[in-house]
Amino acid sequence: MIYIKDADYEYISNKYHDTKKPFDPFMRYIRRDEIFDENTGMNGDDIKQGIFENDKKYEHLPHCIRKARGLEFVLKNTRISCDSRDIFPAINSTDRLLRVTLSDMWRNEILQNVIPENHAERINLQRKGVATIWLDYDHSVPIWDRLFDLGFSGILADSENIRKQKGKLSEEKEAFYESIKIEYEAIIGIVKRMSLLAKNTKGSEKLAVALDNISQNPPKTFYEALLLIYIYFMICEHIEGLQVRSLCNFDRQLYKFYKHDIENGVSEEQIREEIAYFFLQFTAIGNYWGQPVYLGGENADGSSVINELSYIFVDVYDKMGIFNPKVQIKVAESTPEKFMLKVLDMIRRGRNSFVLVGDKLIRQSLIKNLGVTEEEARLCDVKGCYEYAKQGDFGTGMNYINLVKPLEFVLHGGYDGIDQSFILQKSPAPYEYKTFDDLYAEYKKQLFALIDKTVEIVNGYEDYLAEINPLPMLSATIPDCLEKGLDAIARKSVSCSSFMMFGAIADVVDSLTMLKKYVYDRKELTLEEFVSIIDNNFEGHELFRQKLLNDREKYGNNKDFPDSLAVDIDESISGYLNHRKNASNRGGYWFNAGYHVARQYYEQGKKTASLPSGRLKGEELAKNSSPCVGQNREGATAAILTVTKVDATNCVGDVCLDLGVLPSAVKGDDGLQALYGLVKTYFNRGGHALQINIVDAETLRDAQKNPEKYADLQIRVAGWNVLWNNIPPHEQEGFIKQAEALI
Amino acid sequence: MKANIFEIKRFAVHDGDGVRTTVFFKGCPLSCVWCHNPESLKKQSELSIYQHKCVKCGNCVRVCPNGAHAIKDDKHVFIRENCIACGKCEEECYFDAIKLYGKEYSVDDLLPILLQDIDFYKDSNGGVTLSGGECLLQYEFCTELLKKLKEHGINTAVDTCGCVSKTAIDSVLPYVDTFLYDVKAFDEDVHKRCTGVSNKAILENLKYLDDMGAKVEIRIPYVPAYNDNQIEKIAEFIKSLKNVTAIKVLAYHNYASSKYEAIGVKNTLPQLVPTEEDRQRAVEIIRRIVDIKVS
Repeated sequence: MIYIKDADYEYISNKYHDTKKPFDPFMRYIRRDEIFDENTGMNGDDIKQGIFENDKKYEHLPHCIRKARGLEFVLKNTRISCDSRDIFPAINSTDRLLRVTLSDMWRNEILQNVIPENHAERINLQRKGVATIWLDYDHSVPIWDRLFDLGFSGILADSENIRKQKGKLSEEKEAFYESIKIEYEAIIGIVKRMSLLAKNTKGSEKLAVALDNISQNPPKTFYEALLLIYIYFMICEHIEGLQVRSLCNFDRQLYKFYKHDIENGVSEEQIREEIAYFFLQFTAIGNYWGQPVYLGGENADGSSVINELSYIFVDVYDKMGIFNPKVQIKVAESTPEKFMLKVLDMIRRGRNSFVLVGDKLIRQSLIKNLGVTEEEARLCDVKGCYEYAKQGDFGTGMNYINLVKPLEFVLHGGYDGIDQSFILQKSPAPYEYKTFDDLYAEYKKQLFALIDKTVEIVNGYEDYLAEINPLPMLSATIPDCLEKGLDAIARKSVSCSSFMMFGAIADVVDSLTMLKKYVYDRKELTLEEFVSIIDNNFEGHELFRQKLLNDREKYGNNKDFPDSLAVDIDESISGYLNHRKNASNRGGYWFNAGYHVARQYYEQGKKTASLPSGRLKGEELAKNSSPCVGQNREGATAAILTVTKVDATNCVGDVCLDLGVLPSAVKGDDGLQALYGLVKTYFNRGGHALQINIVDAETLRDAQKNPEKYADLQIRVAGWNVLWNNIPPHEQEGFIKQAEALI
Repeated sequence: MKANIFEIKRFAVHDGDGVRTTVFFKGCPLSCVWCHNPESLKKQSELSIYQHKCVKCGNCVRVCPNGAHAIKDDKHVFIRENCIACGKCEEECYFDAIKLYGKEYSVDDLLPILLQDIDFYKDSNGGVTLSGGECLLQYEFCTELLKKLKEHGINTAVDTCGCVSKTAIDSVLPYVDTFLYDVKAFDEDVHKRCTGVSNKAILENLKYLDDMGAKVEIRIPYVPAYNDNQIEKIAEFIKSLKNVTAIKVLAYHNYASSKYEAIGVKNTLPQLVPTEEDRQRAVEIIRRIVDIKVS
């Protein structure tokens, strides 16, 4: 591979997984005991056992201290490795150990013993496909600039200084600072341990020097900064058990290191190599949700971030032909055309690791909803798939609401449409809705009831988040936490938002539109008749179903009525939910976080009855803010017009259009310019996120039959990109159908 | 005034600069053997049947006022001479098996459709292209439409085969930003063999447009065994013009076979399809002769 020697490639590819074994992209745990020298520490299983043993000494102490002692135990005792074939070290026990040991233990205690009813209700909503609510302590981004400016030792010193200044503290706050001290001393300890090992490893001398420096000081060189990111990531995500959802604003935050190196005679080639080895770590980890890193956006003064490093980043990425880390591009008004054309050309060639996010919309949304300053909004982090937050804020939001379930309730007297075993509140019988407006008003009642239920459940457990998964490592990077002596996830302030996401907006809009048209406007059948047809999954009514599917008055085609429904649903949700209070320990607000669904289009789809839109029982639901599969009959521009009618500033994150374009439409210079035109209009009209698949059905079919020919074919799913060959065949079908419908 | 239009294509990217909407007018004075829009040739509307999509539901039989459709022995039978192209069957076909090529539009019908994508035109230096068939056969309508588009500040292009009257050209000239002008052959006999008509008016009109200072982009279809010996001569002719901004060589393809079958006309498509290398060679020949952007 370019920039990477063959032997090194082989070594790094096997560093986290055994490439001889089948790869499971959904596997959360990466750990390879066998590559470590046993003289460097205990084996992984002993470490895991040891955590519980070790914890017995601290059982009487607050959870944050116990967690910190757990991390200390792991970092002191786990095996480490350095190898001349890699410029990054290896740490064992990276199977999210503290999450699966201490955190899961506390989680089970709290859910089952403290709030058992809350837990049961939550599980029931998920089982019935109504709402998927996962306890979220996963979307974190440290304040990278502080880590870069202070280093691990500086972060520790800062926390200790503040602790001293505060004088006498409550037991709880004392524990908070103490847990930071324990964790950062342990982190510094393992960095020193690795540095010593590197010193004694032939070919790792450069690593030894760099590790030695970052064990005591802030990083000085570009390589040291990458090393710091890597170490923070491995320890936080894979040992502490808190996902690091951004590896930083690469071109903005690392530029000073790049500049320092270049001015000190380091060649660009060396920088490129260091980036390549850095990227390859994440490519080798390779799980499906990916490790995000972002480029672009604006500096504090409003100028474009794009610099030499941005171009080097995309060029190295392109030449390596990799798919992870996954990359968000913050597209601002000031982002140069030249850079965008380079990125779009890569996307056009199937480098689908890129998602585009609109900087203008992000700023507007943060200012409007969270009252941040213009400057804070410019410097906000992109985290996760298409989420964004002011630096240091900790939003939680794995709360996926299925927007079509409330319609099922409306059509079945309040019960679900699958087996009438779930109810939130009663609704009138179908014959009682005299007009479409009656029916739609009842839909909103059921939707609001579902929102209320979700708020109640989530508020019920979020008070305990800091008890379940205390986060000293992250909190230490955030001045607000240090000032207040509070954990990042529960700091009783607007920094701790809770988010709700709403899936299948296209399905519900299309279904409501068809009900209005055929029941109330054209009176071709009564609502009872329609309900009876969908209850029988359209059996014996295939022609009617085809008529519904063929009807062009659907979401995604720039048609007035369906689009007005989408706008109204968005405004209703935002009006009802935004700025409601979340759990008191968190002290923030609830927000509509848009229409991102992760894999729920598939999981909830399986549990959703057939719909008035013509969709059959169990079929996939629409993805994100995109039209239903096969329903974007007017093409790309129409889909963009529809999606951008919804005011994305009502949402904090996740208003994403999946845009499919045929390769023939964007070939040549004309095609690239036209694609750029699409992107510009999307963002000028206030679009938030855009992910583009440029592929035709024929290619996908061929790839399904001949996977070996398409080892590098990438597809963007809902928030991440995957290798085509890693998608199960039944899910591949959905993508093929989508591509077949392209015009 | 109404025009007969057989397709409106949004996000058209190869019919001029930027993101465009292309309006395809029905009727063409040429009958090129390689025509990839055979549904454009006749001036009158006509129905096409895509048999492979038909599920024999019988909806078309039910709604047809003239007995043009029948299902016999589980096969869909279309009696073309009975069809009055009313489009009722197309509306009731849920499987896209029936398509009516050619619908009447007034300028007021078209404008809202074409204005939908105005933001895209502005952000990409795109606009609206009139094409066909030969749009200038309906030049009075085109003039009115182009005038309205210009009032909305929209960039306009006309894709023409050039086989039209000077009156037609004079009429639209003030409202057209770019002419996409097809040149298929230089030698008259070759042109006749390829298209069925002389190219005298075509070359004259091109010269005329050039004299008038119009911005012209030339398009040359490249069809082996038909016009591949014409490339040099066409390039020499273009060399004598002053205002040509670009030349595009379009490789012939035979994807249109199914359309011939669907509208029930004889498939005249040549067998021989050029490779990208063939096309590049033609591009190189032109580049050697003229100093204009060739792609």
